[in-house]
Amino acid sequence: MKQSSSLYPVWLGLIGLAILAGLFAAFRIFTQGHYLFNANDVLMWSLPLGVYIYLALTSTGLTLLASLPLVFGVKKLEPIAKRLVFLAITTLVGGFVAIGLELGNIFHMFYILLSPNLSSPIWWMGFIYSVELVVLAAKFWRLHRGDWHSLLSRMLGHISFVAAIVAPLMIGSVFGLTESRVTYFGPVMSIYCLLMAILSGTALCLFYHLLISRINGSHVTEDHESIFDDISQIFTYTLAVVLIFTLVKIVIESATVVPDFLNYRQYAQAFGGIGRLNTEVILGLILPLILMVIPGIRTGISSRMVASALVLAGTLAMHMEILLAGQSRPIGPKAEQYPDYISYFPSMYEWLVMLLAIAVALLLYTMGERYLDLKATPEH
Amino acid sequence: MPRYAMVIDLQSCVGCGSCSISCRSENNVPDGIYWSNKITETSGTFPNVRYHYIPTLCNHCDNAPCVRGCPTGAMHKLDNGITMHDPKKCIGCKYCEFNCPYGVIYFNWRKPHPFWQQKTQLLQGGTFTPVELTEKAGGKTIPYYNPEREDTLAGIRPKGVVEKCTFCDHRINKGLLPRCVEACPADARIFGDISDPDSEVSKLLGKFRPFRLREQLGTDPHIFYIRDFNPAHYQPTKGGV
Repeated sequence: MKQSSSLYPVWLGLIGLAILAGLFAAFRIFTQGHYLFNANDVLMWSLPLGVYIYLALTSTGLTLLASLPLVFGVKKLEPIAKRLVFLAITTLVGGFVAIGLELGNIFHMFYILLSPNLSSPIWWMGFIYSVELVVLAAKFWRLHRGDWHSLLSRMLGHISFVAAIVAPLMIGSVFGLTESRVTYFGPVMSIYCLLMAILSGTALCLFYHLLISRINGSHVTEDHESIFDDISQIFTYTLAVVLIFTLVKIVIESATVVPDFLNYRQYAQAFGGIGRLNTEVILGLILPLILMVIPGIRTGISSRMVASALVLAGTLAMHMEILLAGQSRPIGPKAEQYPDYISYFPSMYEWLVMLLAIAVALLLYTMGERYLDLKATPEH
Repeated sequence: MPRYAMVIDLQSCVGCGSCSISCRSENNVPDGIYWSNKITETSGTFPNVRYHYIPTLCNHCDNAPCVRGCPTGAMHKLDNGITMHDPKKCIGCKYCEFNCPYGVIYFNWRKPHPFWQQKTQLLQGGTFTPVELTEKAGGKTIPYYNPEREDTLAGIRPKGVVEKCTFCDHRINKGLLPRCVEACPADARIFGDISDPDSEVSKLLGKFRPFRLREQLGTDPHIFYIRDFNPAHYQPTKGGV
């Protein structure tokens, strides 16, 4: 949003209000406890964790996109590289806000360093995302100083790329290493998280850049037009790959009669659907893909914005769907205290955690656009 | 070093719940949390039905998924095989709870024992407040507080961390049996060192064919069940078509 726009202070005011509301929730959660969430000892991971997964994976996707110019030397994408690194940092900070409020005792976090458990996928996830945040911040600092090609700058780019490949695999492993929950077990979740990271990262990149150019009312140059075409193409192919992967997953889950999958299937349509296709798959994958492959529509700014916005909403819904469906039924003796199926709708506090995480990211985006010259390229 | 295990004789167990009640008192367990619990199941179609009762607790697995997944090592194994939790190291990520195949780990969603922190009287001038009652009884947070629990673990675990059965390690250290074993009126729980071939648990495991919960997962649980209880009789028959 342009500094001179009369809406700018309103925008900042709205973000400020959202952050204040989120801080109120954070205070209540830390002082009263997590019973303020609509979670329990059966469905223990709820919206805040889903938001963390979503934002962390989106940050990963942005980092991988930024690697195209910064690691693989795709010069054409250099004009958006600095902004992508910044978006990756701020989105990840938003994710850390969400996970920070999900944890029961964040003040014990230093034990992650003091007594690390190297067999824990959660430890590796936390470690790699922390490394990624630090490395991205260092990389951004180098770019901001105009250092695009020094050994240090290139090395930081390579490390952030490797971290961005491994981090979503680790988020997937958190689920993939739970033998007791067959529907999660195995490498599928890791591959799924990596693909979803690229998809939501590309969607955010496209949506954000189109939104910024629309808000600023600036003329889109031919160079930028060409960049958006390339990003749109990556977006379309990633959409297709994620859709194929999702369909294969649905077919396998539908074909098996393993009891855990039968239970999972029973509860895996929290947002409704048509047949085996969930609403979020239809609206978040199929519809955007249709928009992006029809020749007369796919080049329009509005249709690209709608498609990327649908994917941004759809991927969050897909993460929530998987998260909730795998925890819907009590395990072992917990069936004595809880019903056969746990219904869930986020509490006000869970919505406020999500609002805080997104508002923090938005505030950082806004400040970055204003003060950090995110359009900078090596020539500058 | 011993390797502790428990054998539960389902034929002796009458399902009285004494194990669960004594466990709550011994370990100051808050409402909504169950270190000692049960799985009940009704099978068949009325009127041909049976009721099954399986007492449960932490299985103190050798390959404990909760220990493997804990990022800070808060959930850890002791040399004697007990799966122990250190609330001081717990970040409250709940991964152990998510990962446990047996549903025996619980999270403290709020400050424990909220009832006993109330400062309002049921009858004005007629009854103590819960806080006053705790003070009169000489308790700490709860009137029936057991200070011996503090020997190896926080007497009452704070909000934001998980908790579960510890095989009453504070009692074992003093040469005492776990409270649930001692309290069982039918002697259905037999506790001991499975690495000692002369221990009662080893003898029972040699005499009966035990089963363990979700054994196929490879967690190597150390709660063994023997002698599934079924007193039913039936008329010898070859069935029919």
